[in-house]
Amino acid sequence: MNKKIPNFIFTNQFGLLCLVLIFIVIFSTVTDGFTSRFNIFALSRVIAIDIMIGLAMMVVILTGGLNLALGAIGVCAAMFGGWCMEVLEIPIIPSILLMLGMGSFLGWINGFITVKTGVHSFIVTLATMSIYFGFMTMLTEAEAFRRLPELFTDFGSAKLFNKYISPLLLVSVATCFVLFYVFRFTDIGRKLIAAGANPEAAELSGISVNTMFIYCHILSGFLGALAAILLTTRIGAAIPSMAGQLGMDWLLPAFLAPVIGGTLLSGGKLSVFGTMLGAVLVTLLTNGLYLLDVGEFWIRFFLGIILLMAVLLDRTREYFTLRKVIVS
Amino acid sequence: MATLFKKDWFGLLIVVIVSGLAIAAVKPAFLSHFNLYVLMVSTSYMLIIALAQMIIIAIGQMNLSVGAIGGLVAISFSGLMEVHQISVPVAVLIGLVIGMMCGFLNGYITAKSGISAFIITLATLYIFKGINLGITEAEPFYNIPETVKNFGNAKLGNTPIPFLIVIPIIITFLMWVFMNRTETGRHMLAYGNSVQSAELIGISSSKVVITAHVISGFLAATAGILVVCRLQLGTPNIGDSWLLPSFAAPVIGGAILAGGKVDVIATALGVLIVVIISQALVIFKIDPFFVQIFLGVMILIAVLVNRYREYKQEALRKIFNSE
Repeated sequence: MNKKIPNFIFTNQFGLLCLVLIFIVIFSTVTDGFTSRFNIFALSRVIAIDIMIGLAMMVVILTGGLNLALGAIGVCAAMFGGWCMEVLEIPIIPSILLMLGMGSFLGWINGFITVKTGVHSFIVTLATMSIYFGFMTMLTEAEAFRRLPELFTDFGSAKLFNKYISPLLLVSVATCFVLFYVFRFTDIGRKLIAAGANPEAAELSGISVNTMFIYCHILSGFLGALAAILLTTRIGAAIPSMAGQLGMDWLLPAFLAPVIGGTLLSGGKLSVFGTMLGAVLVTLLTNGLYLLDVGEFWIRFFLGIILLMAVLLDRTREYFTLRKVIVS
Repeated sequence: MATLFKKDWFGLLIVVIVSGLAIAAVKPAFLSHFNLYVLMVSTSYMLIIALAQMIIIAIGQMNLSVGAIGGLVAISFSGLMEVHQISVPVAVLIGLVIGMMCGFLNGYITAKSGISAFIITLATLYIFKGINLGITEAEPFYNIPETVKNFGNAKLGNTPIPFLIVIPIIITFLMWVFMNRTETGRHMLAYGNSVQSAELIGISSSKVVITAHVISGFLAATAGILVVCRLQLGTPNIGDSWLLPSFAAPVIGGAILAGGKVDVIATALGVLIVVIISQALVIFKIDPFFVQIFLGVMILIAVLVNRYREYKQEALRKIFNSE
């Protein structure tokens, strides 16, 4: 009984939770309006999307790879959904399913090429990023879909819990719980982790590592599409530039959340709730810096610094835990 | 001549010549003075961008911040001249030093922390870009001195050869000498091939990593300055679109991303292929967005070809071993 509590205190998640609380206290005393209803609502919408983007990258980092095409997949799914709803007038639920299917399919392409060629996913997804994004711009002629069904866009502006929280956040938190359950308690989840941690050992114990890696890429595409759906309902339109040039604007939040949350870049170790807390921390910091009048141009600078500090701190933590193990 | 056939880059040379001739046969305008000029101008800075990435690929890492360094140097260079009235040579020098400092930062953190260069350069990408936007507030510098503008427009005599390409050619030559004929260059390849064996034979890993990143920063800075000469203004978005081409050329040139196998000539030919075909798409009036798709497809094809060659070599080795 006594042993369990200290164990939790030494985890990464606990440190993150403390950091989140500390920053909430700092920002709510230093800035005006941090705890205002409007700001908390806005925060909950941004956090929802950042969590989803972080999870989408996390499942690929699990394989020891990465997915540069994540933003491009998201934008493709969003534009595809916009086309389905606005031009083809497909009802909302089937459209959403089609978007998720689109994301999963693009993720499958990434996974398939990576596994079949044996080339690092960095270079594969770098190539597919420009292919997906290029096709998307060509097919849509860079035009946005702005007349989406009202029911769809209303979801993004709905307010729950005394108008404090957006339903988008509930979707993301629910996704976290599902993923946590899958990775912790299901056969397939354990296999995915095993394949990422030690591919050779996994292969020898009868797990098809290639299939597992393809599953991870499909899941990444699926979650990327989910993030795009949330973003589309928030903006109220499907816009080709919603994730920046080539979808690269998603890259920083995508890596920040899992890396801060304790997912190993070499693969084989992930933390769903760490990623969630990482996304919360990053969004809080960004929001707080805006309220402190840092100016939007310097925000990127600080986010870069935060990422750097996060990986360096993680390194130090690893070093000390390792030393403790060796000493004891 | 026989040794020429055996070179890795010989196939690429054939591709360059054949594709050039084929395009010229269909569209004679491809060989017009103006088109050759445009071709060489884009080759000039693409060449340096590709080399900036190539040297990092050589040590088995990647540098996402090449474009951000180039952009930061471009706006520092033009800002120093416009706002602080600093003379051109001094501004060039300061620009290059900034680039090398950025590279040093990348290399130092990567070497000392042992964290993958991908994540470090992703962080510094945002740091450099943030400084860039923080200084300029997204406003370009328009008042570039006439000497710089003239340099960007100058041609060698009556030929369509832009003056801009002279520097990249010299740098490519120096890089070839560096990678093939100097101890540090060979050490880099050894390090990229196998970090452990390199350390065992006494190569200092931090020295190799930091040197490679400093050179990469220097090259990115040079590219940034050349783009300012070419555009005749310093905009904060210089470098934003460099990531894809910087990887495309070395990969098409056959660099293995695991490190240890890069070839300066092959990379240069990779640049030529990318430039020629992008230009051809423009001449054939194909949708500009197609160029993007095309670059992606080219990378995938190059990767597959490299993979196939490796596979064949391996099969060959197996045959010899069994005998």
